Amino acid sequence: MPYVRTYGAFWRLNFLTLAEYRANFFVWLVFTIVLHGSALTTIWLAMREFPIMNGWTWQQVAFLYSLYMLAHSLNNALFFTVGDVPWHIRDGTFDRIMVRPLNPLFQVLSQPGQNWPDDLALAIVVFSVAQALVHLVWTPATLFLLLGAMAGGALIDFAVQLAVATIAFWVIRLDTLRWVVMSLETDFTRYPLSIYNKLVRFTLSFVFPFAFMNYFPASTLLQKTAGAYGINPVLGWLTPIVGAVWFAGAYLFWRRGLNHYQGTGS
Amino acid sequence: MAAGAYVEFAKRAFSREATYREEVFTHIGSVALRVYLFFALWSSLYAGSGAKEGFTLQDMITYATLGLVLGQLYGVNGAYVIREKIREGNIAIDLMRPISVPLYVFADTVGQTAFALLQMVPALLLAIGLLALNHAHISLPASPLDAAAFVTSVVLGFAVNFFLDLMMATITFWTMEIFGFQLMVQFITTLLSGQIIPLQFFPESVRQFALNSPFAAIASAPLSIYVGKYHSPELLGVLGLQALWAVIFAVGALLLWQVGERRVVVQGG
Repeated sequence: MPYVRTYGAFWRLNFLTLAEYRANFFVWLVFTIVLHGSALTTIWLAMREFPIMNGWTWQQVAFLYSLYMLAHSLNNALFFTVGDVPWHIRDGTFDRIMVRPLNPLFQVLSQPGQNWPDDLALAIVVFSVAQALVHLVWTPATLFLLLGAMAGGALIDFAVQLAVATIAFWVIRLDTLRWVVMSLETDFTRYPLSIYNKLVRFTLSFVFPFAFMNYFPASTLLQKTAGAYGINPVLGWLTPIVGAVWFAGAYLFWRRGLNHYQGTGS
Repeated sequence: MAAGAYVEFAKRAFSREATYREEVFTHIGSVALRVYLFFALWSSLYAGSGAKEGFTLQDMITYATLGLVLGQLYGVNGAYVIREKIREGNIAIDLMRPISVPLYVFADTVGQTAFALLQMVPALLLAIGLLALNHAHISLPASPLDAAAFVTSVVLGFAVNFFLDLMMATITFWTMEIFGFQLMVQFITTLLSGQIIPLQFFPESVRQFALNSPFAAIASAPLSIYVGKYHSPELLGVLGLQALWAVIFAVGALLLWQVGERRVVVQGG
């Protein structure tokens, strides 16, 4: 299989790069810690004076954040380079991808970039602390739900990035859209979905379904299934399905983008 | 060199920024979207509770909105261009010119900030509209005195922030890879300046320290003045402390610049 061999070589290169530029890796690790540390500190500071936000304690909001970190960092480790597609198109280097005999998306994902798994390692550390803070009850079901939320969440993240990147086949400058999607993803997933109005809740559930990355799985795991802010516990289990459906849609869109790119010959 | 040249630099920076139309939408959208986010966050936290540390929900919505606007103004980081100049070696040419490079960068930043300020007019209107849809609004300053003190305080905060950025950029004379470091400083500054969460909400053990730190001079001071947290005798003290930090940072940044500049000259660029 050329795919397995190529992907293996790609990861070998990643680790060799990591070993070569150790100082750089260390700087980015510290950077990642400060980034998430300041986000978690902000949550804690905001909630210090208020014990509860729509039924969520600060420990539970931190847990919500840690679930997002797990899915997002898995996406970053595997699919980060999909964000480079607009650059490839702008610079004309995308043509190189088109003439090679491997699947173009596969080639995009095995381009050298910063796919260092430091983010993932930190996510696991933060999650370990957060799950202890909320006294998460561990059963085989908990483990399955978590794995589903992480893998499915990464797929949702990837699907949205892929769809946004695909638009670049038609419109090169789409910084505003990218920014709005990024803000919906990183800023709006920090707090329980129930604090937003209907339009935002709808967008985060059915358009860019980031709520399935952390809010629904966290609500199911923390048994927030009754009362004013309760949800149907089944929702937390749907993340892998939502991920698969959104990825399938994004991939079909990507294929149309590729056809368009070849068609115009630009 | 006549001051007129620097005014011209500032004007040039303003028109240069005006050509990036796409970014204007990004900045406006970015503020409006997050005004809604903070409105939703503080409304749900304040549900059923009164003032905390003297801040009512109304104060909080006003504080958060203006905090986002200040964030956009300070986010200009005109000093960043120094990093590129040093990396590419163009700094040698700039040093030969009959101008002061830090002053040139200052003028350029003023021009860029003026344009950023202009963009904040539609951003604020959009934010006010969004808040109105949710039956909320932004307060006006309690008195003309507070309003005047707020404007003065923003100018001083701008100065502290600029010289901090200049110091960061000057470090490039010694080490090229400062991008990650700079972002880290930016995250820490945002947190400790009280731009998002008022410093009055910090735990009591660190609150006083945080309120007197140079970071507080950047955002906490103007924002707290606007929502009327300081009264006249205190007001002078707060502005005085801001001015003190601005002077200290200016002297620090310019000294650092001179040492760095000499390094380039000695090594021959």
